[in-house]
Amino acid sequence: MLFHTWPFAIFLLIVLPVFHALRKTRLWLPWLTVASYFFYGWWNPYYLILVFYSTVLDFCLVALMDHCPLQGQKVDMRARLTGLRFHDRVLKAAFVGAAAADLGMLCLAVAGPKTLRPAMTALSSLVFLMALGALFSSRRIWLLISLINNLALLLFFKYARFVVENLNGVFARLHLSMSLPDPSTLMPFGFEYLLPVGISFFTFQSLSYTIDFYLGNVDRERNFLRFATFVCFFPQLMAGPIERARHLLPQFHKFPEVRLQNFTDGASLFLVGLFKKLALANYLANYVERVYDDPKAFGAPALILATVAFGWQILFDFSGYTDMARGVARLLGFNLILNFNNPYLASGLGEFWSRWHISLSSWFRDYLYIPLGGNRGGTPNTYRNLFITFFVSGIWHGASWTFVIWGTLHGLGVVITRELERSAFYREWVPKLLKQAGVFAFVSFTWIFFRARSLPDALVIVNRVFRAEWRDPQIPTLMIGLLALVWFYQFLLESRFRTLLQAGPVRVGVAVFMVLYLSLCASGGGAFIYFQF
Amino acid sequence: MVRTKSARIHDTPFVNEVRLDAPQWIVALGILAMVMLLTPVLWKKLERFEPGPDYRIPYALSKDYWFYERCLEQTTAANVVVLGDSVVWGEYVRQDGTLSHFLNEESGQPGRFVNAAVNGLFPLAFEGLARCYGGPLRHRKVIVHCNVLWMSSPKADLRTDKEQRFNHAELVRQFLPRIPCYKADLNQRLAAVIERRFTFSEWAKHLQMAYFSQKTIPNWTLEDDGGNPPRYPNAYKNPLAQITFTIPPEPAVDPERGPGSPRHKPWSTTGAGTTRFEWVELDQSLQWAAFQRLVKLLQSRGNDVLVVVGPFNENILAEENRRGFRRLRDGVGDWLANNHVAYVVPGTLPSALYADASHPLTAGYQLLADRLYHDAAFQKWLARRGPRPPGDL
Repeated sequence: MLFHTWPFAIFLLIVLPVFHALRKTRLWLPWLTVASYFFYGWWNPYYLILVFYSTVLDFCLVALMDHCPLQGQKVDMRARLTGLRFHDRVLKAAFVGAAAADLGMLCLAVAGPKTLRPAMTALSSLVFLMALGALFSSRRIWLLISLINNLALLLFFKYARFVVENLNGVFARLHLSMSLPDPSTLMPFGFEYLLPVGISFFTFQSLSYTIDFYLGNVDRERNFLRFATFVCFFPQLMAGPIERARHLLPQFHKFPEVRLQNFTDGASLFLVGLFKKLALANYLANYVERVYDDPKAFGAPALILATVAFGWQILFDFSGYTDMARGVARLLGFNLILNFNNPYLASGLGEFWSRWHISLSSWFRDYLYIPLGGNRGGTPNTYRNLFITFFVSGIWHGASWTFVIWGTLHGLGVVITRELERSAFYREWVPKLLKQAGVFAFVSFTWIFFRARSLPDALVIVNRVFRAEWRDPQIPTLMIGLLALVWFYQFLLESRFRTLLQAGPVRVGVAVFMVLYLSLCASGGGAFIYFQF
Repeated sequence: MVRTKSARIHDTPFVNEVRLDAPQWIVALGILAMVMLLTPVLWKKLERFEPGPDYRIPYALSKDYWFYERCLEQTTAANVVVLGDSVVWGEYVRQDGTLSHFLNEESGQPGRFVNAAVNGLFPLAFEGLARCYGGPLRHRKVIVHCNVLWMSSPKADLRTDKEQRFNHAELVRQFLPRIPCYKADLNQRLAAVIERRFTFSEWAKHLQMAYFSQKTIPNWTLEDDGGNPPRYPNAYKNPLAQITFTIPPEPAVDPERGPGSPRHKPWSTTGAGTTRFEWVELDQSLQWAAFQRLVKLLQSRGNDVLVVVGPFNENILAEENRRGFRRLRDGVGDWLANNHVAYVVPGTLPSALYADASHPLTAGYQLLADRLYHDAAFQKWLARRGPRPPGDL
């Protein structure tokens, strides 16, 4: 159910009035949960098992963490193991339950149905850790379980095949007769092995809650429905923005204030998002697809322009989704965080990342870069941490060498330009436009690896960009005109002429233009690029 | 009560200035409503469109239902509108070789019989066309062609489970009765149901059909020539210059149609032998059920309906297959008679006058028109006082 389709329009036309009708009851939250689960289940009902499992586990883990002393305590292991003497009844129940469940799972892993054995082996390891967590009353073990569980799900569904294929390739090169089984053979009951839409987003969101609780940044959420809604809130479930518990959870504590501005803002955001997706991203995608599907058939100008076009396509596609998500949330009365802030106006790579996919960048900053040491350990360590963060960010985007290279390039870029960007010369003497053009050129170059179908294709494109003949790129004038218009609008936004855009007639004119353009020129639907991540 | 530590929740930040408040939305919606209501109406005055006596919807505009409705609006109470699929439209013939042309010749009144057929139509879509776009036909005399080819097999009847892609899918009933081979997703079905209610949306499709090779404007700018590497001849063209405000007429010389075309030849000369069709049972046929609903719909709209059944090319049928065909044809006739619908079942034409199982050649249409026009039932129907709009005494 994509935002720009009729089924979603009907879904929203049902969810929204009922949600508001329930504002004086306690049912608005269950309604939101049901709507979110329905929305996610629409894609594939089996996905619900996964999101529900992840939600229940993290909810319970934090509850158990809450029963552990903050500073740790000395545990009489003997008394606990022999006499089941625990200071906390919940932890005792958790230990007994986990131990018993682990025993059952081990039995199933050894003697159960063949199709169930791999899943049971993995689960029994996890439950064993839970028993240890209860036994040691350790917050750290509970956190570890959450990390392992969420990342294992992500790794299995997103990266397992990539890893297996590459390892099997290495084995074959070394003439070893061994080979790892395809991950699909590990699925229980013969379920289909496919990447659940949005898994990277909801696992990160759920994970942020457990980490933040561990760090003392949020309090425990005791209402399961509230937490479940936080994990699978339908506007941002598929492709973010990745919300933080301390921002979104409090908004579910009481029915949001009903204001006319919620509707006008929501409609404004939704319209802009719709325009970005249907009028711009889909159009650009047509040109990009043709060139990138057969890069050898095109000359250097077409390859360069298609790469630039892709840079805009992915921005419009992803930020269009985000705008629509924020618009829908706003219609319901909730505020989602900003995810894009005109990134192609950035005058440094660091700034680019503070404007592009902000919720993911800040997630990596808070949960990877800073725990690694951030910029506290001197310049070499800062660079190392930056590089690792961008490298992991690249991998987060997908299981392919092209994403690894994309992340690496950005890591290197940020490391190399960091000092330059901080220098007085760069800040004061280099014209802003030149800085923006430089950042745009670098980012566009890295998009080649992001978009290419394979690594050899990416290398062909890079090679041909510099060596192929200069042929007519045949990029439509209309496309160039639209891009120029958008770029001009963005420049005005950050200039002293911004007041021009704030004038009522201009706002109305832009909105009317968008609706008419959509009615006359928009084509088809098409899924969002970031759904695959 | 334990409260979640929270970051300060700001209002939704905007990074553009397209943030309209309520009065601005009202103004914007007002402007949009005016534009959307007035444009299609004004367009009819601006766009040149002159149907001659033998006019038929150009092949390229077969799916331009807004234009189809506009053509129907041009008909007068004195016209007899001939509805049908490619048989009536004239798949192999020029517009001066169609059934309506020869009926006009027979009657001696050019333009009396109007060719309002659409290429690629079939009863399930035909019903939708009449229901959604046939409003201007109210209280007219209409001839409806019944092509039994659509009941010649479960596949033609769209009853098989295997997915089929067919023309005019937007016109068929999207939900009930279910068409087993129609596998469009929910969004496509809803779009078909909802968008046809918006005249502006239909008009926008008209622009695409008439001026942009049946594509959206952006897709038209990227239309390739099929070469390798492809070339995009429209890339640098100004899309607005395409809009000439003139409906492109049918080409004067159509290599695909007319006596001069290589396709215009008897079916038997193509090397095709006789065929066995898997005739479906009428009471189970989706197409026949749709045809019945179509006739009822037209009657409910005050139309004086005459159904022409066939003439199907019996020469193409294997001997043992003809009995099934005749049973089906007779069943059609029985239902029409039982429902007091005027009908004619013209005899099969000579084999050499058919291009395939159902389409006559130019001489075939001439003969058919001659037979029809001199048929007593046809004459009786034609002479019958036409339906009157309510209030017209």
